[in-house]
Formats: sequence, C-alpha cells, structure tokens
Amino acid sequence: MDARVMCALATTGLLLAACGGGGPGETVTGITVVTWRPNSPGTWDRAIEMFEEANPDVRVELQTGPSSSTQLHDMLSQRLRNRDASVDVFVMDVVWPPEFAAAGWARPLDEAFGPEARGRFFEGTVEAVTWEGSVYGVPFFLDAGVLYYRTDLLSRYGLQPPETWGEMVRAADSVLLGEDDPSLYGYSAQMAQYEGLVCDMLELVGSAGGDLMQPGDEAAVRALRFARDSLVHLAGMTPPGILTYKEQESLELFASGGAVFHRNWPYAWALCADTAGSEIAGKVGISSLPSFPGGESVSALGGWSFGISAYSQHPEEAWRFVEHMTSPEVQRMFAVEVGKPPARRALYADSAVLAANPHFGPMEAVFEAAAPRPRSPLYPQISHRLQSFLHEAVGDPDSRIPRMAREAAADIAEILERAGG
Amino acid sequence: MRAALPMMLPAAVFLCGFLLFPVVSTMINSLYHDSPLTGREFCGLDNYRRLAGDDQALETVEFTFVFALSSVALEMVAGVLIALAISRVVLGRGPLRAVVILPWAVPTVVAAVMWKYIFNDQYGLLNYLVYGDSVAMYRAWLARPATARLAIIAADVWKASSFVALIALAGLQSVPQQLMEAARIDGAGPVRRFFHVTLPLIRPALLVALLFRVMDAFRVFDLVFVMTQGAPAGQTSVMQYFGYLKMFPEQQYGYGAAVSVVVFAIIAALSIVLVRTVGRRGLVE
Amino acid sequence: MRLLWTGLALAAVVLFCLGPVLWILSTSLKSPGLVDDRPPSLLPDLDAGSYRVALEGRGFLRSMGNSLLVAGATTVLTVLMASLAAYPLARMAGRWRGPVLGLVLAASMFPQVSIAGAVYRMLMGMGLLNTHPGLVLPYTGLMLPLAIWMLTGFFGRLPRELEEAAVVDGCGPWTTVWRVFAPVAAPAVFTTAILVFIYAWNEFFFALLVMTDPAMQTVPVAIAKFPGQYRVPWGELSAAAVVAILPLVAMVLLLQRRIVSGLTTGATKG
Repeated sequence: MDARVMCALATTGLLLAACGGGGPGETVTGITVVTWRPNSPGTWDRAIEMFEEANPDVRVELQTGPSSSTQLHDMLSQRLRNRDASVDVFVMDVVWPPEFAAAGWARPLDEAFGPEARGRFFEGTVEAVTWEGSVYGVPFFLDAGVLYYRTDLLSRYGLQPPETWGEMVRAADSVLLGEDDPSLYGYSAQMAQYEGLVCDMLELVGSAGGDLMQPGDEAAVRALRFARDSLVHLAGMTPPGILTYKEQESLELFASGGAVFHRNWPYAWALCADTAGSEIAGKVGISSLPSFPGGESVSALGGWSFGISAYSQHPEEAWRFVEHMTSPEVQRMFAVEVGKPPARRALYADSAVLAANPHFGPMEAVFEAAAPRPRSPLYPQISHRLQSFLHEAVGDPDSRIPRMAREAAADIAEILERAGG
Repeated sequence: MRAALPMMLPAAVFLCGFLLFPVVSTMINSLYHDSPLTGREFCGLDNYRRLAGDDQALETVEFTFVFALSSVALEMVAGVLIALAISRVVLGRGPLRAVVILPWAVPTVVAAVMWKYIFNDQYGLLNYLVYGDSVAMYRAWLARPATARLAIIAADVWKASSFVALIALAGLQSVPQQLMEAARIDGAGPVRRFFHVTLPLIRPALLVALLFRVMDAFRVFDLVFVMTQGAPAGQTSVMQYFGYLKMFPEQQYGYGAAVSVVVFAIIAALSIVLVRTVGRRGLVE
Repeated sequence: MRLLWTGLALAAVVLFCLGPVLWILSTSLKSPGLVDDRPPSLLPDLDAGSYRVALEGRGFLRSMGNSLLVAGATTVLTVLMASLAAYPLARMAGRWRGPVLGLVLAASMFPQVSIAGAVYRMLMGMGLLNTHPGLVLPYTGLMLPLAIWMLTGFFGRLPRELEEAAVVDGCGPWTTVWRVFAPVAAPAVFTTAILVFIYAWNEFFFALLVMTDPAMQTVPVAIAKFPGQYRVPWGELSAAAVVAILPLVAMVLLLQRRIVSGLTTGATKG
C-alpha cells in the first residue's frame, strides 16, 4: 500500500510539474480517499488502477487509517470538523451517516445517486445513508450477523442448526457433555464493551421482540437475562474472556476448534474455510441467528458506504470515484476476492460471486432483512451509554437489569434532549 | 542583564504558542456548548453543573483517585526497594542500571500491549504462571472489574517504579557513607538505619518523584486507551479517558474541556499541597 | 548470608523489570503455531518469521525513522531553547521569577489529551498536519517547562565565579552559556535531553491525531494500529514491540551512567 501511495504522490507531483510547464492543457486532479486499513490491499489497488485508467485526468491518493472503526471515526471527524479540504472521499460505517449529515460534513448526493440507482441496492443499506430525506452516501458493502456452527459436532450428536436461543444452548450442552473437552465452549461471540456488543445485543433483544432503545421493556429484560444467565455465566457455555472479545478473538477461538456455535459477520466464512489458518475448514455451516420463542431472527445490519466531503474541492471527480467503486464490476471483484457481501442485489445471482461465496445464496434473505441500530446524529453518545449498560447487564452475574435499564433509558433521553451540546 | 529578554524569547514564544494558548483556549472552551450539531454557544458553568450530576463521570473520578493513590503508593515503595537493592552493587552496575531504567524507557503503548498480552485469557503469561497447564481454569483478568482494575494498576506500577527507583538511586548516591558507618557502629540494624539515616536524606528526592508521579497518575490515559478502553462496564475508565470519549468520539468539545479543567484543578491542588510539604526550596530554585 | 540476600534481591529486581520484556521477546521468536498454543510455552522455538512480517509488511522501519527524526529534532530544539532561557532565569534575582516558573510548570500540568483539539486546529491552520514539524513543535512546547525547570535549577547551583571569570575574559551572556556553562552543566543538559527524547519517542495521542498518513506514523501509533481486522497477531505485535524498544535499550545501556549522574546532580540538591 505504501508503494502505491508513493507512486501516486510521485506521479501527481510529476504530472503537476509537467502541467506547469505547459503540457497538453489537461490538468490532473488529485483526490484523497480515506479508508480503514484493508486486509486486502491488492484488491483496492486494482480497483484504483482501473479507475485511473478510465479517468486519466484523476489521480487517487489512498490514505489508510486504523483498522478500528472508532479510531477511523475520530480521525475523520477531527479533519471534517476543522473543514479540512484535503479529504475528498471517505468511507462511512453504517451508523455514521446521520451524524455526518447533521454536522454538514457529507455532501448530499440525491441528484447523482437517484431513485432508480438506489433501487438496485438493498433497501436497508440505502436507508442507512439517508437522513432527513436526503442521501449522503453510496453503499459499498453490507454486513449482517449470522450464526456459524460446527457441522461435524452437530451431526455427531444428531442435532440440527437451532431455531431458538434455548435450543442452541441445549444443543451446545449435549455436545459439551459428549465431547468432554475442557477447551471446547458452546458459544463464541463479541461481548467486549464496544460497538460490536450493541450489535450482538440488538440481535438478542430484537429476536425477543424488544428494542434496544426501550431497554426496560419486558422483552429486552428477558433477552438480557438470558444472555447473562444462560450464555455468559453458564459454566462452560462461553469462554471466560468473552466479555473482552471482539471479532478477532471470538473468531480465533472458533477457528481453532474452541466453540460449537459462533456469531459473527459474513467475512468469517472465508477465514474458517481457509485450510492454512483454520482448524475447522470444511466443518463449518452457516445459518440465520436463532430467536426467542414467538420472536423472529434478527440480524444486525453492518457495512460501509462511500461519502463525499462537503469541503472537497473536487466533488465531481470524487463522485466519479465513488460511482466506480460501487459499480457492479468493482463490487463483484471485492465480493469474489475479499468475500464482502456486495450491497447490490443483482450480484447475488452472479455465478462468480456465488462460486466464491456459496453461503451468500441462502444468506441473501438475512442480508435483505438486516436490522439497523438506532439512527441518530447523536449515535456515538447513545452507543457509549448502551455499551456500558449492556456490558454491566450481562457481565455482572447479579445485575439488576430493570433498574439499570431505567437509568440507561433516562440517560439516553437526556442525550437526545440536550441534542449534542 | 540586557540579553536576558532575547535569550528567553524563543522559549517564551514556544510556551505561549504551543502550551499556554492551547491550554487557555481549552479552558475557555469549557464555558461553551461546542459540538458539530449545536455549533458553539456560551453556556457559562453549565458543563460543570452537568459534570457534577453525571454519574458516569463521578465513577471515573472515584477510580482515578483509587488508581492514583494505590499506584503511587506501590510505585514509591517498589522504587525505593529497587534503588536500595542496586545502590551498593559495583559489579555489573552498568547493565543492572540499564535493566532498571528499561521499564521507564519503554513507550507506554508498548507496555500496555505487553501487559494486555500477559493478562490474556487464552495465551497469557499470568494464567500460565498461576494455573500452569490446566487451560480450563484460565481466567479472563480483564473481563471482571476488580481484576481489570488491578491489572491497570499493575501495569502502571511496573512502568513507574523504574522512574521512582532512578530518582531514589540518585538520592541514595549522595548519602554520605560516614553517616551509615556511624549508624552501623552504633548498633543500628538495617531497618533502623534506613528509617533514621537514609530516608530523611533522600526525602527531597523522593518528594520530587512523588510530585511527578502524582501528576502523571491523575493524567493517565495511554494505558487505559490501549489496555481496556475503560471496560469492563466502564469500571477502568479514568477521568482523562472519559474526557477523551466526550471530546473525540462524542464530539462534545465543551464538555470534554470541562473534564480536563477539573483534572487540572485536582492536579494543581495536590501539587500545591505537596510543594508546601517539600518547602519552597525544593521546587522553585 | 548478606550476599545471599543481596543476590535474591537483585534477582527479584531483574525479574521484575525484565520479566514482561523477556516474555514479549520470547513470543516474538515463536513460530505462529507455537504462539497460538494453549497453554503458552515460556520458551520460543526461535523462529524469526514474526520479525520479517512486522518489518516488511507494515512499514515499521519507516515508523522508526519518523520517531527518530521527531524525537531527535524535539530534543535538540528543546534543549537549545531551554538552556538559553535557563541562564537568565537562574541568575536573575527578582520576585517575578518564582511565579513565572510556577506558571510555566502549572501549564504543563494540564492534561495533554485535551489540548490536542486546539493544537490540531493550530497545526491545520499552519498546514503542518502530517509533517514532522507538526509533531516537533507541540512536543517542544510541552517539554519546555520541564527542561527549563531542570536546567534553571542546575544553573542556579553553579558557582558565580564561573561567570565572573567569563566576564573578566570578555564573554557576553550568550558566549557565557555556550563556552562556560554548558560543559560544566553537561550532565544536567544530558539528562534533560534524554528525558525529552524518551518523551517524544513515546508520545502517542498527538502522534495519532496529527500523523494520519501511515507513511508518517511514529512507533507508538504503528504499534497501536497493529491489531488487524481479523486476528490479533500476537507474534508480530511482539516482534514490533521488541524492535520498537531496541533503540531505547541501546541508548539506555550506553547512557545509563549519564542518566543516573544527571539525576544525581539535578534532584538531590533540593
């Protein structure tokens, strides 16, 4: 990646110098794209190369930030808040658009990204980039929580993928009893105090018919109690460190054969199937998440979109880049090479995409129905409050959930009332 | 001295520009509501009023005090012990001192990552030392509030004892040997010698170390940011981390500034108390 | 008997100070399979693969270069300006000296994380983001109070005969500082320089905000950004950590005598 940046910078420099000396009269615009550090820099490089070939008057400088979404948010918000004109295009996590739109940082794209274009993307992803009637981004790829399970272990004990959370716990129990392996746990998920916790709990609470923003409701309390008593604090069901696990740690446990069930985003599929790094290649199944009796399975919506800075001095070139990166060809490339679920519906019937990601077929319905987190420009504050509430609710075996939920709800109401000050 | 002003000018310019100006501007900003959504409007002491009623903020105040007091106490004791152990050594003095300086020289971020790994629930050294091969008994030290807090304190003590040891060592070097000999001849045991001869003589040095450590302990941030991010359940969040959360991810610049002013006030108050103990002699030469 | 106690005490000290570092060193020399082993093994199987990945794959050496440049420049700048300012401060009698030093020291007590926003805006206005001066300037500002305090204290304790001799020799105040004070004050200057260098090398938060371009990152930021999206590569992270502290280890080994002697002259006389 660094060589690429050097190349881009050098080329920009040379070209600009050449232009200064009276070139053919064509100016080269440089645009800066800020994204997280990719695990597959090669794919990004190729996509940029394709763009620059088709648009010889634009040079792209890719700036990769941290791989943590929060750190990337900090970095971007600092620059945008100070009206830094050096950022043209940036990626947005699925929960950022309301914030970026309300702060005036993201440019509205209603004209360029019109209704029929939008119709080709999953509705949830388009809604995520919409705020107060305008569209502020173009979906890049989406994520939705899914359940992974060990096909070999389930079949050994004659079990089916569970429909309810209770079934899952009972199934895991049978396997654990039968295997008698102290380093095998029932369920591995993300319960560290961070954004991922909100996603996992959204799925649990939602599948009980509850809503995270009404944490004191009977459904939510029931779901949280279940998570606390039957998942986190049930001996052997989850690893003791689960309260510090993010995606990496929970996946590592599952991929090294340490868990029967695993909740994660679709990207984990490729890693589990990779014979080089995973001990369970070929023994993994994928299904939608369980629900509570009477409820429906809920998958948290994740993913990223592209936005254009309101302070960009090259919005036209920036749009061309965004259009290119979200085009079917590039989305297909990312889906095939990296395994990211594309935001365009049509690609789920594409043979190349399905060949590389066979699980996309059955999971398409899950992606379509994925549930968003609370949408608000004040989401960072709301999320922080929810995170500390949820972490304590499931982490403390004696937590008084209804009372904590009331306090959290009151604090969130205050956040919304204060509206940012 | 006519040249006094131009000699001090470069430093003065820097201090005004890169230290005093940002500090004052941040302090002023604490009197405003300042966020991308509401813009910037004067609100007087509203942020402070809100801070006084913010339960999460108050919890971080509590832990910051607990952290600062326990770490500093442990560091001072450990540092003095280390200094005592190595002060008399002649053979291998160089490498030994280098070893002692090392924890202090290691970047806090690297130390935080190191300790996070030591406390890891699957691969951590601590689990191996305590439970050996019984992997099933391994604990997730950073997952429970009590042990996570101890972990943060342990990491800080490791790093800062080194600093205290160095200062104490410097102090010990200046203890005249005749005094020690005289005390030994008088029949004083090592403990009495320490408390009646050594300690009074290294007191000034120790108080300097104490002052620095107290200031730094109340401002701790890097360690929490890298090791726990305030988890579990915000129980390892310290004031400055809370201030960071408000300022950066949550974009509430005015409120975050108010948090810093409070931290500053606490540090300033404590420093004044400590300086009074040392006497004006020690600090303002 | 006494020897036994001393020996045990020394062993405890070494274990305490070096233990965590040795553990990281061991992890960095394990092959990936061994790193993921449960229970972890104390001893490595001496596989340097982690180092290769850490150094090549992530531009770590460039981060080291950045850190070296920033820390070095900060040290030179700070020590220069502090020495210049310390001389008049040390020699001037006057009631304003105490308050000025106090004010300056007080300002340095302000939590640094919070002034980051204001400093960021200043740097952006000056176009210094993602440049080396963008870090050198704030670091200098932040370390000047400490440097001035240490050097003022030390200069203050130097005998006046030194200057009187210099004045007799016809030296102006500037020359006095360079030709006469500096050599004598070398230990204190040295210690100050080391303190500043270590601070600038280890500083994390400003570096994270100011250097968003990965090519300009310093070492602490590079380490903090290490954990990948998919797995936490403890082996590579350990290798990076070891490489990150190597220059400091070297510096500390070479300069440990100076560090201690500088602190002796600086700290005890008060």
